Amino acid sequence: MKKLMYLLLVATLLSGLVAIGTACGPTPTPGPTATPKVVEKIVVITPTPAPKRVTLIITGPSSGETGYKVLQKQLERFTKENPNIEVKIQEMPWSSTLQHDMFATWSAGQLPTPDILRLDIVWPAEFAAAGWVISLDDYIKKAGIDMKDFLEGPLSGCTYQGKVVCLPYFTDAGLLYYRKDLLEKHGFKPPETFADLKEQALAITKKEGIKNGFVWQGDAYEGGTCDLMEYLWGNGADVLDDKGNVVIDNPKAVEALSVMVDYIKSGVSPAGVTTYKEEDARNVFQRGDAVFMRNWPYAWAAMNAPDSPVKGKVGAKPMVHGPGQKSAATLGGWNLAVNKFSQNPDEAFKLVAFLTSAEIQKGTALGAGLSPTRKSLYKDADVLAANPFWKDFFDIMIGAKPRPVHPRYPEISSVLFTEAHKALTGEQDAATAIKNMAKKITDIVKK
Amino acid sequence: MRFLTTIHKRGLSQIQLAALLMLPALIVIFLITFYPLAQTFLFSLEDYNAKFATARKFVGPANYIKLFLDPDFRAALRQTLFFTVVSVSAEFVLGLLVALVIHRTFPGRGLVRAAVLVPWAIPTVISARMWEWMYNDQFGVINDILVKLHLISAPVPWLGQPATAMWAVIVTDVWKTTPFMALLLLAGLQIIPEELYEAAKIDGAGTWQRFRRVTLPLLRPAILVALIFRTLDAFRVFDVVFVLTRGASGTRTLVVMNQEVFFSFLEFGYGSAISVLVFVFVALFSFLYMRGLGLRLETA
Repeated sequence: MKKLMYLLLVATLLSGLVAIGTACGPTPTPGPTATPKVVEKIVVITPTPAPKRVTLIITGPSSGETGYKVLQKQLERFTKENPNIEVKIQEMPWSSTLQHDMFATWSAGQLPTPDILRLDIVWPAEFAAAGWVISLDDYIKKAGIDMKDFLEGPLSGCTYQGKVVCLPYFTDAGLLYYRKDLLEKHGFKPPETFADLKEQALAITKKEGIKNGFVWQGDAYEGGTCDLMEYLWGNGADVLDDKGNVVIDNPKAVEALSVMVDYIKSGVSPAGVTTYKEEDARNVFQRGDAVFMRNWPYAWAAMNAPDSPVKGKVGAKPMVHGPGQKSAATLGGWNLAVNKFSQNPDEAFKLVAFLTSAEIQKGTALGAGLSPTRKSLYKDADVLAANPFWKDFFDIMIGAKPRPVHPRYPEISSVLFTEAHKALTGEQDAATAIKNMAKKITDIVKK
Repeated sequence: MRFLTTIHKRGLSQIQLAALLMLPALIVIFLITFYPLAQTFLFSLEDYNAKFATARKFVGPANYIKLFLDPDFRAALRQTLFFTVVSVSAEFVLGLLVALVIHRTFPGRGLVRAAVLVPWAIPTVISARMWEWMYNDQFGVINDILVKLHLISAPVPWLGQPATAMWAVIVTDVWKTTPFMALLLLAGLQIIPEELYEAAKIDGAGTWQRFRRVTLPLLRPAILVALIFRTLDAFRVFDVVFVLTRGASGTRTLVVMNQEVFFSFLEFGYGSAISVLVFVFVALFSFLYMRGLGLRLETA
């Protein structure tokens, strides 16, 4: 009997392990609600005598980030203008991968909150295909929002099968930062091609005794995909074509990945770059330990802060590219969508329109340093006075390209950064990596 | 009480009464363990992506077949087994040494016992983040020391290359869980009566013989419990890997893979199949341990 009890105990402990699988699964909901396929939302506006009081929840930055206070102020103003709507911020972790997984779990469970989801530029296709966010077309028409003022890149990222499913909130694009002072001192012009960068990095590190030539995001995560895409595009290759065919199996792609591998092998980049994310690269560059860095616009403000060792010594330009090719920047940024299961979609859209309006975006740009998604703001005198470099960034922002648009994007991205990382660490050569990517992504797209 | 006496009078036997009294507990156990287990198993027989819930359909063993053909799964299984065997062995040996030391009486023993437990008390996410910084190639303390001692000529990105990443993860895990192993073994040591050692001494047994013939056999139940606990935990390792490498550079263990399949890809069917296999492996390990250590459970 004792033995039996013991076995039972062990079995109980064991089965608890498997529970992770189901504990977070979608809760079975009664009725036919388990078919979230339709993206449209039929809106019947009946004349209501008095606006109902509602509380909205929006996902936002954590209270430690600068953007939090700015958003809080904007929401206070929104409530003043719409006294019947109160808004609460749900703080989210910094990592976009973690945010994705939280959103996906909530949406798969058909949670009505948060009402407004802040989506990374690569998610709208997935969320729209899954039926987790509503189409905003009717709302946009009714509210008369000037869609032409939005940058094309972010807007196309928000469009799935011809329907707008979110509005661009702020944008991002990959940049090449360089040490102006060092390049001038050694008589170099900012590099244009992959080879230029290698030559300059090797020459300057050797003469100046600086530890690293070029730092970037080589870790196996979403940022790794962003970096990889810039090499692919900058060398005339791509992952998917306009029709969604897999086109990565291409000598140009192998060449592009080989450039990244060569940067590590030849000492242009430290071997440890295979563990770097944005902040790791910025830490190294900001301490003056690197000549070049690939990063997002956010890094500019930190590098030019009063206590920064490289203050005033940094320039930014579009990413380097292959011979005879053009530079490419990966499009980043965040967008606001309305949760399909929200009980207050009308009010939620009102808030989305408010936060993405030119006036509010201007406040976000000035207060939190986030790049606006409205073209008009790149000509705004106040914005340019606070961020003079944005005038130069405009072309990069306009030209930034979206990562492969697909409902199964997380799987595609995982293949890209995992296989690329294996090439960067020398586990496989670039040609094998590209072959594997092609094969695996073809399988994913076929599903 | 009257209720019990009435049903007793109605002719319920002792065993039936016992069963009745245990029923609530059994129902709870059923709901929180066997139900999820069964549900996971049922999911594993479906092609079920939570993103495309309408396309959900029953596919039988297809997920398992796909799993065995998936080179990523085989790699994850290999890496998990490697991690488990190496980390648990190291933790066992080190944990036993620590337990033997802190079992002895010496001045300041209480302080040492408390100090030994510190790594275990720190949440894994925090200690893993700490190790991540220590392993950093630019400002990590490990590279700094090794370079200054001229043991290496240039900093090594410990977590960024397949040759060292898994070892770096194992070192972190061993540092963190050796105290737990020591604690379990210490509990086992403390119930061994002192007289046995005295008797062995009188019979002329040396230190090694006393350890070999008295300590080890009597410690067996504690060893079994400690090894089962640690093996199961190690096989399901997630947090330390997730923080240090997120599975890059040849450290992708089964549960790290499973987390990605479940919560990034939302492949509930395929993910459940992985969960079920992890369960089967873990059950197998427990069985082998009980067999291998030849332990009659009554003595535990």
